[in-house]
Parts: sequence; C-alpha cells; structure tokens
Amino acid sequence: MRFQYLLEQALGNLRRNVLVVFAAVVAVLVMLTLVFGTIVVRWSIDQDIGRWDENVRVIAFLTDDLSLDDVTALQSEIQGWDEVEDVVYFSKSEALQEFHELFADQQSLIDVVDADPSILPASLRIAPKEAAEYSTITDRLVVIPGVQKVSAADEAIDALVARSSRLRTFAYWIVIVLGAAAVVLIANTIRIAIFARRDEIGIMKLVGAGNWFVRIPFLLEGVMEGLVGAILAVALVWAVAPSIAELFSTSATVGSLDVPGDFLFKQALLVLGFGAGTGLLGSSFGMWGFLRD
Amino acid sequence: MIRLQDVAKVYDGGTVAVRDVNLEIAKGEFVFLVGPSGSGKSTLIRLMLRQELPTEGSIWVAGKEITSLPGWKVPLLRRSIGTVFQDFKLLPTKTVHENVAFALEVIGRPKHVIRGQVPQVLKLVGLAAKADRLPNQLSGGEQQRVSIARAFVNRPLILLADEPTGNLDPATSIGIMRLLDRINRTGTTVVMATHDHAIVDAMRRRVVALERGRVVRDQSRGAYDQSAQLSDEFEATEG
Repeated sequence: MRFQYLLEQALGNLRRNVLVVFAAVVAVLVMLTLVFGTIVVRWSIDQDIGRWDENVRVIAFLTDDLSLDDVTALQSEIQGWDEVEDVVYFSKSEALQEFHELFADQQSLIDVVDADPSILPASLRIAPKEAAEYSTITDRLVVIPGVQKVSAADEAIDALVARSSRLRTFAYWIVIVLGAAAVVLIANTIRIAIFARRDEIGIMKLVGAGNWFVRIPFLLEGVMEGLVGAILAVALVWAVAPSIAELFSTSATVGSLDVPGDFLFKQALLVLGFGAGTGLLGSSFGMWGFLRD
Repeated sequence: MIRLQDVAKVYDGGTVAVRDVNLEIAKGEFVFLVGPSGSGKSTLIRLMLRQELPTEGSIWVAGKEITSLPGWKVPLLRRSIGTVFQDFKLLPTKTVHENVAFALEVIGRPKHVIRGQVPQVLKLVGLAAKADRLPNQLSGGEQQRVSIARAFVNRPLILLADEPTGNLDPATSIGIMRLLDRINRTGTTVVMATHDHAIVDAMRRRVVALERGRVVRDQSRGAYDQSAQLSDEFEATEG
C-alpha cells in the first residue's frame, strides 16, 4: 500500500506537467535511439570483421631452402606468439591442389603451374586472435629468414576496424552531450514538480514524514521518464534493426543479415538500464539542495 | 518536556533573532510566548521544531537533545510534536477528512488506524459533520479547527501553535482557545506564540515575554502587558 502510494504520487507529478515531461522523454528517446542504433550498426560491421577473423590467414610464403624440420620449428615458434591463434602448414602439393581449385576455369594458368609445380611456394597460414592484430604479425614475420613474402588482406580490415572505433567514439559523444541534456531536462521536470507540491511537502515534513518518503516519488518520476524514453528508443531501433544492418554491412549481398534476437535483447536491457540511470541522475540533480530536512 | 539552555540564533547577515534564552517547560504545561513582532517568538517555535538550528546553546525536546540530532531522525522528532499556524496550511484540493488523514498516511500509519482515528479527532474539534467539505467551503475558525485536528490526530506530546488566532475574529478565537485548552487537559504540553492581549489575559496561564530576542519576563498565571507584571512585582515587594 505504501509503495502504491509513492507510485501514485509519482504518476500524479507526471500528469501535472505533461509538456516538460514530454521534452525530457524526447531527449532520452533521441539519445538512446542514436546509442542503440549505433550499437546495431557496430554489430553489423563487427560481423564483417568477424568474417575476416574466420577466413583471414596472414600468409607467410616460405623459401624453398627450408627443411621440414626448419618449417616445424618455425611453425611452433609462431604458434607461441601472443597474437596468434593458429598456424597451419601448407605444403607445395597442397598449394598446387588449391591452385587447381581456385583457377579450375582457367586452364592456361593451370598448364603453366603444372609444367613446373615448384614455382608455387609452401606457406604458413596464420590466424590472428583478432583481425586487427594482423599488422603486428606481419611486422614480425617479414624479418624472419626463410620467409620470402608476407601477404594479408590488410586494407579491408583496417577500414572496418577504423569505422568500428569511430562509431564507438560517436556513441560516447552522444552519451556525453545528449545525456547531459537529458539529465538537465529531467532535473527541470523534478524542480517543477517539487515547486508545484511545495505546500504539500512542507506539511509532510511538519508532520514527520520520513525524508525518503518525501523523496522517492520524485526519484520514481525521473526514473519513469528515463525508462519511457528508453522503451520507445528500444522499440524504434528494434523495428528497424534489420534495415540498419543491411545498410551498413558490406557483405549484405552475400546473405540476409538477421540481427540475432538475443543480442538485441541483451543490448536492449542495457539501454533500458541506462535510461533508468539517466532518470535517476536527473532527479537526483533536480532534488539537489531541496527536500532537505 | 522542553528545555532551552543559553540559546542564541543569529541569522546570516547578523540579525540576532534570540539570545541568552533559558527556558524550561514541564510536561502538561500551557505556555504563552508573547511579545511584539520580531521579538523572536516564531524563531523559538522554529528552533523547537528543528526547522532552524541555534547558533549557540542546546535544546531538549521530549528527552532528546535536538541540535545534534542526525537529519534522518528529525522526522521522528516531529511526529511527537503537533504544529498549528496562523495560515492553517491546509491542502486546498483535499477534503477535511483527507487533510487530517494525510498527516497519518505520510508517516505510514495503516489504513484501519486512519479510519478509526480521523473521525474521532474531527468529532473532538466539532467538525464531524463537515468531513467531506473542502477547506474553501469552511470559515476561518473551522479551517483552524481542521489544522488543530491534523496536529493532534497523532496524539503528540507537544503542540506548538504560532499565532493560531492571528487571522480570526475575537469570538472565533475564543472557540479555538477552548479547543487548545481541552487538548492541554489531555496532558499535551502546549506552547503558543501570540500577541493577542485579550486571550492571554483571559486564560491566565504561564507567560514568557520576549523583547528583541531576550526573555524579559517569565510568569506563571501571567497577563500580556506590563501592568500585570508591575502589579505582580508590587505584590512581591509588598510580601
């Protein structure tokens, strides 16, 4: 009954100041829509990076003078590096077989290679733990004797990683700028609500209402504003998530990109929590200096 | 019940509201605080309620030293004190019943207690028939009765009244004083700040007179003005 009472007070406050409450909710909505939207965009970009993660091998082509023992030694040395996930040895014959598969429709090329199979070098194919670490690996490989050439799909990864981190920066700035605006707007609604109820609050304090009994409705009011804004943002982004993913993924043509529900759900919970937190912060600021004994 | 020891209150800016106040009020007493505007009556009331902290001195209320009371305990102090003001301080959108019930709701009293106590106290102040009226449908005297009902519904040990008859005509004031007297007879300590000569003279209770923040007279069964004090002194010198 007591909680119901506090809740009714908070709802009463919200109803009384519809217009300023609306402004505060919209501020939270805009902020969190951009944040949640950015999360989804980053997800689609990270999917692309992830695709590279699985496929990319930094390829170290070996000179022909290495013995099998040398190769094994080299392989286990590289395997020991921190940034390396896996190293696979690709022999000359395997290289030839792969060449046949890749260029099956270009008989002239195959003819050339078949004439002298030794022109295809053996190689070590290295999977980095993270795609972004390919450059470190490349740098370490080129100075090793016995490695004649290193190749990696670098620029594509670089661009994606850069894009992903730019988006993260973007999201931080949104949180800072729009978050501050949302907090101030919520604080403003709380001030107005306190002002509208100052007589009532005065009487509550006179008859000995507990400090938190006076404060909680206002805190709840702020939390509700933040939460409503967050719920709207989540609904909005969730509805358009597939389109966002399609728009921002470079490999969208390969197949449909369904943003997985459990990913969205987890992120949505975070966004909701963040909205509620924004509201709590706003109402705390709004009460600052007021509602003391 | 209430004890003030060497109490002084200086507001920011240097205005001295009260100084060197030593006062002891026993349980069940009825005390008038009298004096001209600005003499410090209201400040004393605010100090006893801990709406203000004294610049110097100590204050005990209901056995507790309240100047060192932590903020979260202040509500508990106030539950043992009922307060009545000149301007009634009723909520205009709540009925008489709701205004009184509000005081119990916000300190977490259960509904069945509220249902029992509110009609009882409204009967005591003579407003049982007007429980569903709004404050603006009542006369000034009736509104003050509601505010007294609200102050008393929680059966406080102390009732502090700051100019409770200040907005009322003499006839209505008498009714309010009868009510406060009745509450006092239940054992409640009553402290009332006033500059209503007629009431103080008629009641003949303890009078504490203030002037520019100092207690200049403390008399049991006193009157408002100096002449009464003079005659008392005259009696004293004679005897």
